[in-house]
Amino acid sequence: MKSWHRFAICVTLGLIGGTAFAVHQVRGGLGDGTVANGPWTTGKSFGTAEASALTRAKVALSGLLALPAKEAMYFTAKVDSDGKALDGRCTYLVSGGKLDGRWWSVTLYEGEGWLVKNSANRWSIPAHAATQGEDGIWSFTVAPDTQSGSWLPTGGVKAFDLTLRLYHPSATLISDPAKASLPAIKRLGCI
Amino acid sequence: MMRRWLFPLVAGALVAGGAYQATLLATPYVLMNAAMKKIGARGPENRFAFGEMATADNQPIVRPSPDLSYSTCVFNLAKGPVLIDVEPVPDHYWSVSIFDARTDVAAVRSDRDTGGKAARLALVKAGQKAPAGYEPVRLEHDRGIALIRILLADPAEFPVIDAIRRKSTCKVL
Repeated sequence: MKSWHRFAICVTLGLIGGTAFAVHQVRGGLGDGTVANGPWTTGKSFGTAEASALTRAKVALSGLLALPAKEAMYFTAKVDSDGKALDGRCTYLVSGGKLDGRWWSVTLYEGEGWLVKNSANRWSIPAHAATQGEDGIWSFTVAPDTQSGSWLPTGGVKAFDLTLRLYHPSATLISDPAKASLPAIKRLGCI
Repeated sequence: MMRRWLFPLVAGALVAGGAYQATLLATPYVLMNAAMKKIGARGPENRFAFGEMATADNQPIVRPSPDLSYSTCVFNLAKGPVLIDVEPVPDHYWSVSIFDARTDVAAVRSDRDTGGKAARLALVKAGQKAPAGYEPVRLEHDRGIALIRILLADPAEFPVIDAIRRKSTCKVL
């Protein structure tokens, strides 16, 4: 084998390998520079010039035009509170207390972030639509079939994620999202 | 044997590192360009397009919020500063955000920032000046997206909100 053959092989493999690894990392969810809190994860530098190249690329792919934390925080859950992957054929109870911001909503997405077709034409539960308990705890059900009370349909998809949007979060929440009190996601059963 | 592969392997590793960084750096520009193309198809440059509420059948970008009305302007500073005037919506959360071609937020102004009054932004690049009465927003790229979000408490509010937001403008000075 000639010398240039060896160079050509290594450079080609390097080009393919480097690009493929970057694509794999970008498509791997919002893992870089993120903060975990129970089943939820968030990033503190979305939409800002301080974001790393990897975070910026990830946000561009799965959260293009996202706002910086002072305006809105985005918490995403792909698993329930026991760490099991969210499954659209299962029923979940999402519940929590007062969230530390001006307004919130929880939206259900599939794939890289698409709303799911469903019979109720409902894709999110904003704060005022959740069922309010006397103890100050709100809740709603995430399920494939019609539920009594506040219901967020899954459309029966195999996998989904939930995004909690919190607009005008408090300074405490922005500085330490890992300690914020966020909703629990409890699996009640599966079809 | 190993010596003959040493330099090719080092060259391959360097190329891999470069390709990795180049892909990460290019991704936001490529995706933002695709978004500007898609959003820009709704109307002319430097003018707001007032989108319908997001549904499973209407998703111009990933992770749209079905609770927010979105109005978008694909701007271009090549012919001069672009002025953004946002009509306030009383008793509702609203904001206008300016995203550059790299997806970074150059500015966000909400009803909280303006005290409920209109937001008036002048998007300028080096060498351009903002006119009086406008807050300058300096950009390093010619193109980007201005996005107005308005929170609807109830989908039935849409016709009223829609009439108000259509008073917002995006235009070249």
